[in-house]
Amino acid sequence: MELELGLAPPNDAGSCGKRRSAEAFGVKKPTLPLFLRDDDDDGDHGNGEDDTGDARDCEISMGNKRKRLVGWPPVKSAHRPRSNSHVKVKMEGVPIGRKVDLSRHASYHQLHHTLRLMFPSTSHHGDPYAVTYEDVDGDWVLVGDVPWE
Amino acid sequence: PAASLSTPSSPDALPAAAASPRAPPARASRRVASPGPATARAAPMGRGGARDGAAAAPPWHSLPDEVLEHAFSFLPAAADRGAAAAVCHGWLGAERRSRRRLAVANCYAAAPRDAVDRFPSVRAAEVKGKPHFADFGLVPPAWGAEAAPWVAAAADGWPLLEELSFKRMVVTDECLEMIASSFRNFQVLRLVSCEGFSTAGLAAITEGCRNLRELDLQENYIEDCSSHWLSYFPESFTSLETLNFSCLEGEVNFAVLERLVSRCRNLKTLKLNNAIPLDKVASLLRKAPQLVELGTGKFSAEYHSDLFAKLEAAFAGCKSLRRLSGAWDAVPDYLPAFYCVCEGLTSLNLSYATVRGPELIKFISRCKNLQQLWVMDLIEDHGLAVVAGSCSKLQELRVFPSDPFGAGQVLLTERGLVDVSASCPMLESVLYFCGQMTNEALITIAKNRPNFTCFRLCILEPRTPDYVTRESLDAGFSAIVESCKGLRRLSVSGLLTDLVFKSIGANGNCLEMLSIAFAGNSDLGLHYILSGCKTLKKLEIRDCPFGNKPLLANAAKLETMRSLWMSSCSLTLGACRQLAEKMPRLTVEIMNDPGRTCPVESLPDDSPVETLYVYRTIAGPRSDTPDYVQIV
Repeated sequence: MELELGLAPPNDAGSCGKRRSAEAFGVKKPTLPLFLRDDDDDGDHGNGEDDTGDARDCEISMGNKRKRLVGWPPVKSAHRPRSNSHVKVKMEGVPIGRKVDLSRHASYHQLHHTLRLMFPSTSHHGDPYAVTYEDVDGDWVLVGDVPWE
Repeated sequence: PAASLSTPSSPDALPAAAASPRAPPARASRRVASPGPATARAAPMGRGGARDGAAAAPPWHSLPDEVLEHAFSFLPAAADRGAAAAVCHGWLGAERRSRRRLAVANCYAAAPRDAVDRFPSVRAAEVKGKPHFADFGLVPPAWGAEAAPWVAAAADGWPLLEELSFKRMVVTDECLEMIASSFRNFQVLRLVSCEGFSTAGLAAITEGCRNLRELDLQENYIEDCSSHWLSYFPESFTSLETLNFSCLEGEVNFAVLERLVSRCRNLKTLKLNNAIPLDKVASLLRKAPQLVELGTGKFSAEYHSDLFAKLEAAFAGCKSLRRLSGAWDAVPDYLPAFYCVCEGLTSLNLSYATVRGPELIKFISRCKNLQQLWVMDLIEDHGLAVVAGSCSKLQELRVFPSDPFGAGQVLLTERGLVDVSASCPMLESVLYFCGQMTNEALITIAKNRPNFTCFRLCILEPRTPDYVTRESLDAGFSAIVESCKGLRRLSVSGLLTDLVFKSIGANGNCLEMLSIAFAGNSDLGLHYILSGCKTLKKLEIRDCPFGNKPLLANAAKLETMRSLWMSSCSLTLGACRQLAEKMPRLTVEIMNDPGRTCPVESLPDDSPVETLYVYRTIAGPRSDTPDYVQIV
């Protein structure tokens, strides 16, 4: 699933020459896919080739950050840079909250699965809950809009 | 696995009773007072032996069980015992009744009760659960691999069990409680990459296992219930030889730990967690100078000269220290504090250590007898060049990426590996994460080190070609398999076509485990592997354009293997159905989008299969699948 938004790169007051990644923007491409492929995709997994130049641009524009693939490179979580990734989860109407370790999940799907186990619901169809989080600005936002990492 | 099951149990004394009254034959048996061998007359199978002695040498099938069991006790490898058991019914019976160590490489390959019934004398068991790729997050939670049925069956049928080891399984506190209360002489508990238990379960073990020698917790996810599990070791308890709680996140009562270490004079292995500060490490070392293996935990502190002196003195007392590990966010200034142990070290694990620079390299260069080195790529090429020059006895090298998802700043190139392979003649096992590679380097490495048994190369960016020629790395990896005739484990990466698999299929005659990612161009690649690689046991593949045809064409091969994992390839449901139909002794599991809840029966044949996991089993389909796993 890819969302496309018209967006000008930051710091770009009209000229494309400033940034190191300018080569990506040499061609006029103001739109950037913001939602990188995750394990949700039922697209061509066989060859993870990006045939859309957009995705590659996005990859380059993110400061040469490698596109995050699930389980790649194959390092155990113990070997990954560790940070305290436990977050508190509360469900409306349930007095006792839970804690979830985000670093042990590799995708939104896995998170949803864990939450379903922690807060069982009688509804078996699709997503019984809305999962939201409080962002840095203090706003409550639906999870899933930004890439998992 | 052979390494952990190495020493044969001490041979049973042969009972004098089951003897022929006749004198033994001329060929003297050096060992035990062997009763006269059975005669040439067809004796009943199994027990019983000769009654009427004759001078002729006995046929093998009428040797008494005791003799057979004694002979089998000298076969350390389970594979050899398995081969002996396949000779005839007599040997089958004698072998299975006397087997002491059992390794179940796939917990679903056999039912726990059947395993316990078949091998009633087992004293040490090891069971493995989830597929290997679970380590990297490719298996969602609640997949299965529960240890409980195994613990329950063992509690029933192996009351004399002494050792239990679980890897990649779900072990609950209830399991640990059952272990603590079911086995009078329980001695060794090893949990590797497991989850599902807490410190409360550990308390049950420490309280209940009076003869515990080893408590080895490696890379588990343990919930901290703040129960003082260490305090449950009774004051009279002194038998501990191994204590590894490095993966525990919480605090432990240091005074209790210190008393424990003081009174367990046989303690050889102590691996602490990050909660133990440096000065406490020094205190512990003074109490346990006999340690052979030490894991220092966090090992990070501001530099203080008196702490330095304390550490230096403590390490100076450790004359037997051979293996060292720890999450050294160490101020490099502390490293000289244990220069004195460098000479004796055979194993150094700095794979969690972010220490870098000349101090690290100086430290390693003093470890002249190092056999095993695990380190971060922060060591860089020039550091590995120093290793190459200093550590001539190196057998195993693992270099991990410090910044796996990072900006691609290349810290480590092919140079480091070339240098080490050129100068370390005993190097046979490599795991190497790096940013770039060339065919030339691989060919050089292959020529230098035909003695590789394990070669795992991970170029961080998928499908990276030879950075000089821009060609695929087919030639390089082909050179590796052609040269390293004893290669048992191989992981490939970078840009690879079907041709490399042709080479691997043809030359990988000892290959047991193969990992493939983002490689190949067509079905042919998979076909080459499955139709070659005579001894292949585990094959794991992700993100390759391999489809249904080679799978079906080589269905029989899958029964000779332990398991096959294929994710993000080009498989469809129809082929999986055909495979399951054709091969009733395989379990064909598919994992799809966890959000999809419609039953697999209703889906058409051409539905894509995201993940396939196939394994041989004598237990039939498992009944504990989560909703996202379907058995075809």
